[in-house]
Amino acid sequence: MTTLAVKRNDMAFCPGCSHGMVLEHLSSAFDRMGLAPTDVCIVSDIGCVGISDRYLDCHTFHGLHGRSITYAEGIKRAKPDTTVVVLIGDGGCGIGTAHLVHAARRGADINVVVCNNFNFGMTGGQHSATTPQCALTTTTPDGSTDYPFDICQTAAVSGASYVGRFTAFDADMPAHLEKAIRTRGFALIDVWELCVAYYTERNHLNRKTLTELADSMDMPLGEIRNNPKSRNMAASPTPRKNHPTPEDDKNGRISPPELLWPRRTEFCVAGSAGQRIRSAVGVVGDIAVAAGLFAAQQDDFPITVRRGHSVSNLILSDSPINYTGVDNAELLLVLTEDGVRRIQDWDQFSPEAIVFADADLELPPTSARIERVDRKAVEKSAGKASGALALLAFAIVKGKWMDPETFRNIAASGARGKYRDQNLEAIRFGIDLANTGS
Amino acid sequence: MREFITGNQAIVRGAVRAGCNFVAGYPITPASSILNEIVRAFADGSGTVVQTEDEIAAIGQCIGAAMTGAKVLTATSGPGISLYSENIGLAQMGETPIVIVDCQRMGPATGGATATGDGDVMFARHVTSGSYPIPVLAATDAMSAYRLTYEAFNIAERLRTPVILLSSKAIAMTRQTVDLESVELPAAITRQRATSNGTFQPYHVDHPSDVPDFAPIGGSQRVRFTGSIHGEDGVLTIDRKKIDAKLKHLNAKIVGNAASLELVEADLDDSAETLVISYGLADGAAREAVKQSREHGNLVSHLTIFSLWPVPEIALRAAITPSIRRVIVPELNLGLYVEEIRKQVPGVLIESIQRIDGGLIYPQRIVDAIEQIEINAARGEEQLR
Ligand code: SF4
Ligand SMILES: [Mg+2]
Repeated sequence: MTTLAVKRNDMAFCPGCSHGMVLEHLSSAFDRMGLAPTDVCIVSDIGCVGISDRYLDCHTFHGLHGRSITYAEGIKRAKPDTTVVVLIGDGGCGIGTAHLVHAARRGADINVVVCNNFNFGMTGGQHSATTPQCALTTTTPDGSTDYPFDICQTAAVSGASYVGRFTAFDADMPAHLEKAIRTRGFALIDVWELCVAYYTERNHLNRKTLTELADSMDMPLGEIRNNPKSRNMAASPTPRKNHPTPEDDKNGRISPPELLWPRRTEFCVAGSAGQRIRSAVGVVGDIAVAAGLFAAQQDDFPITVRRGHSVSNLILSDSPINYTGVDNAELLLVLTEDGVRRIQDWDQFSPEAIVFADADLELPPTSARIERVDRKAVEKSAGKASGALALLAFAIVKGKWMDPETFRNIAASGARGKYRDQNLEAIRFGIDLANTGS
Repeated sequence: MREFITGNQAIVRGAVRAGCNFVAGYPITPASSILNEIVRAFADGSGTVVQTEDEIAAIGQCIGAAMTGAKVLTATSGPGISLYSENIGLAQMGETPIVIVDCQRMGPATGGATATGDGDVMFARHVTSGSYPIPVLAATDAMSAYRLTYEAFNIAERLRTPVILLSSKAIAMTRQTVDLESVELPAAITRQRATSNGTFQPYHVDHPSDVPDFAPIGGSQRVRFTGSIHGEDGVLTIDRKKIDAKLKHLNAKIVGNAASLELVEADLDDSAETLVISYGLADGAAREAVKQSREHGNLVSHLTIFSLWPVPEIALRAAITPSIRRVIVPELNLGLYVEEIRKQVPGVLIESIQRIDGGLIYPQRIVDAIEQIEINAARGEEQLR
């Protein structure tokens, strides 16, 4: 009993409560396995069994009600060499069912010992998730009507490696516990207990009828699942390929390109999902930043990303951008009806602003200058995926925000990523289109 | 090197730079991409990341891992912070270093998932029962999100406390130009380890504002961790003296170290009569407004607060230079933090500028306030509308 700091009689549990026996069984199991107290961490839930930590000489962690499994999994993931055992009641399994299920699914390499006495002892004998039907508790004075929660089957169907149901009086409990602990992956032992203060008298439960109860409830005692080949969580991730780090800045500190607009300018591209609008705007932002300018990009799209509007705002400036709101877009590129509808303040545009709109679109009244573009033709020639970027490049050059040569140069040196060539092609297409004056 | 990244990416970079090696999270807009980016960042085996069944499990796994010595982070939005609440109390009671990112959305409940706001500034401070102090930082943009994430780890480790970093949708999901290498950072702090002599008392401190030495769960010294009120041995206690000492310590280690937690940027003009105080999302507009207003010939001071809690009293008082007569506080909420400022600078005229509909406060509104206020002050008016 190296892990037990006190004798059973000196524990604060009611005389006859099964909790003390479970602690003795656990300590014996650790002894059988040759585990030193500091090899073990016991995570205790809330309830009478939750006060166990003070009687244990190992690492102890006593957290919130129903959440012990979460702490245990965190400890095990971060410290895989430690044997982690959860001591939880039937109450904790009720409030924390989700954790039980999902820790089992993940193959969390922890051991859950359920001290199941069919009611809430600490709070005065209320019914719990495992209370048998017809059982009397303080909150079911006419007998419980709810179907009892089968913790073992729940763990088993959720992928647990080891599941067993025994009574606290089972003399082989240390061996069962050892087996559970030695099984890799999620292990759970449902220990049926007596709560002498609230449950046993009212419901005529004793050591003998506990076994009968198991039969009558069709929840047989014994090993329910033992599948040592079950999945075991990866305590630490398997190294994969290195994550992308920012590419080396080959140009070092570069002096920003000569702008035709030496100040903050706001651009807005509005269209529909699937037009690669956000990525088109991002490409221009990337290029500008690589060239030494400052940029900010804010996107607006519905949660269901593949449907409805897609709006992307870009600010470019030759000095740091304090305020990232786009309230006065000077270039508005509108590609579809979705985009037209999403722009709320058509009457707010300044007369200096230019709206580049697809030829087919009907626009609300605005004081901005309107230029028409043939979106479909551009998409046809440049490729559908490149349409937005080609048109944005076209608009930037056409509206004289950047001269074609500068744009071409900074794009060539600043474009990055998987779609670099495709993007450069789209930009070149847009610039050429602006140059030919179509 | 300049990069074009989102606030969420900046947070991940700051966390990695601080030595973060454990993250558990549950997807939620607008924080989700932090979890995605961490999966990529830890793909080389440099850390452990797990997507849990809910937010309660996310912070629960973080607390467990942190008590084995891991540097942990979890990120969510207001609804998730609500679910973290009880466990944040556990982290306080158990003195667990943990960085919690709140990418705020607009309004209560589900609110505006893709709309922005700074509505959690009081919630962050009083996020768990007992109202024991918790350091809260607020990012203003991607650059500060990077730096403050790093600082949050240092505070969490140094004081063994949960630290909340506030961001918001318009920072989290906005790409901005950053130069992370140019950010000057202090040395990374790792919590003070206990010496291995004698019996380890997990919560022993010599003075109330001291921080207990740390030994990891799973290490060679037996550790007791508990969310119940406890003595220095980590065992539940009913001894009033021990209870009083523990709870006073939880307060003192934050409040008693408040001066070292102040993070502000003061852009003060000795002759200014107007001071703009901003934090979070409103800061960008405030910077722009101060710049424009100065170009118009006005004398204006500006104080950016990055450490909202504890309230940076020293910096606040220092910003009220003798000529300051008025303070303007723009906020993306109902004017929550302005009341804290009012407490600190009694007798100074304070105007609150607010916006809560998910849009940003326009710089022009602050410029108008700065310039209006001059006129109205001349008329001797008390408060502006
Ligand atoms: S109330 Fe029930 S569970 Fe609690 S100690 Fe007493 S007998 Fe045991
Ligand atoms: Mg019970």
